[in-house]
Amino acid sequence: MFAPYIEYARKAFAREATYRIELIAEIGSLVLRVYLLRSLWTALYAHNAAPTGLPLHSMVTYTTVALLMSLVLEVDGTRVIREKLREGGIAVDLMKPIVVPFAYFSDGIGQTLLHAAAIVPSLLFALLLVRIDVPSLPVLAIFFCSFALGYGVNFFVNFLMNGVAFWTLETFGLQLIVRWISDLLSGQILPLSFFPGWFGRAVFALPFAAIYSTPLLVYVGIIPPAKWAAALAVQATWLAVTAGASYLLWRAASRRVVVQGG
Amino acid sequence: MLAAYVQYWKINLLTIVEYRADFFMWFAFTVVYHGTALAALAVTMLRFPSMNGWSLREMFFLYALWMTAHELHNALFFNVVSVPEYIREGRFDRFFVRPFDTLFQVLTVPSRTFPDGFILGLVTLAIATHVADIHVTPFTVLTIAAVLCGGAGIDLGISLFVAALSFWLIRVDTLRWIVMSLEQDFTRYPISIYTRGVRIVLAYVLPFAFMNYFPASYFLGKHDAAFGLSPEVGLLTPLIGLLWTALSYAFWNLGLRHYQGTGS
Repeated sequence: MFAPYIEYARKAFAREATYRIELIAEIGSLVLRVYLLRSLWTALYAHNAAPTGLPLHSMVTYTTVALLMSLVLEVDGTRVIREKLREGGIAVDLMKPIVVPFAYFSDGIGQTLLHAAAIVPSLLFALLLVRIDVPSLPVLAIFFCSFALGYGVNFFVNFLMNGVAFWTLETFGLQLIVRWISDLLSGQILPLSFFPGWFGRAVFALPFAAIYSTPLLVYVGIIPPAKWAAALAVQATWLAVTAGASYLLWRAASRRVVVQGG
Repeated sequence: MLAAYVQYWKINLLTIVEYRADFFMWFAFTVVYHGTALAALAVTMLRFPSMNGWSLREMFFLYALWMTAHELHNALFFNVVSVPEYIREGRFDRFFVRPFDTLFQVLTVPSRTFPDGFILGLVTLAIATHVADIHVTPFTVLTIAAVLCGGAGIDLGISLFVAALSFWLIRVDTLRWIVMSLEQDFTRYPISIYTRGVRIVLAYVLPFAFMNYFPASYFLGKHDAAFGLSPEVGLLTPLIGLLWTALSYAFWNLGLRHYQGTGS
């Protein structure tokens, strides 16, 4: 029953693996960013009072782990929907004896696994530039659970974005816009606690916070063990909401597949 | 040649009228791109008011100066980025049989460009100049204009150099991508926050520091903490832009002589 989906993942992995130079470039550019952010935060902490609960080493750990996570989270596993819609392949996929969203999810997993492999060399190079705090085993375990939930939310947010292509056929610009806003509001660039006032409270209530912020705050210890359950429950809720919305979108969309000439 | 260039802009403007929805989406894209960068900067500096002696207002000016020069480059020279693609697909060869300079022809491939980003940059720069309390005289306006042209020249020089490499190497997309992200990320902050090697690269090898750091130091009357250079160094930007463009153009011509087509 699962065999075709495993095959989808394997194919996606192999496909991505052919872009070796791109992968090396990705690692190179990540290492440059690690350097950039280390320089930035070191300079900022040297000239200003440190925010409470977040000393420089935690901040550097936060940004470095965020960059490593982005290797996996910036893979858009559902881009394939947009491409299939443009080229008409989606009609063929809908005729196959598979659940199409599952197939695309497997495809995304395959791509993700390859990029996850890039984490190891990236981490090794990053360690030449920065020191990363390594938390205790339970913290790490909860971090990975939270990261997995964040991965799910990210997948479905992308799914919803690409799903818009069923109606407009062109979503690339829109998607980049959402990506940048989400990078900022998910805590990838900065800890969300830096946002001032009511806005600072509001960003925690958005689904984006479930993607980067929660796992990262678990990692650096700002979310204490007593609040782990609540934090992961919020993530799980967002996962359910975005998955439900994706299901509804898919049901509405697959009824109105139109063939674009060409 | 001038008549052909005017014609090119006419075609561009007409295609934009045709593809309005597309145009608005890409404009929104530009606004959000710079908006999120500035928002991240503002949020950071509300917590950390001093970036190596630069205040948020000064950082805003630093960003606006880079943004405007970069958008000027995008409005006029963006097609240079497509050269590797033209070569790969064999579309480059037709430029040889026409009576214009090849680079001129590359720059005038109709591509739905509109200087919307540049206009947005000018507005942002005007606001930033006001916010940073820079005393504006006709001389300031002239020097800022010269610095913007020089900054666009630096951008052009570097992208033309990468494009010319594709006469020898077929795949330069990755290199271009790295250079672009290097520029976007590293021009955001005063170069004094980096270690010496990186400062030297940004000042002398890929002189992005001349797009904004040095000229911004001059206009804001700031001491250069990176090299201890005199602030007037910032006025060298037009010269460096010209130099980079000229060198890259020479390299481009060298590549043209070497070029034999990919056979596709």
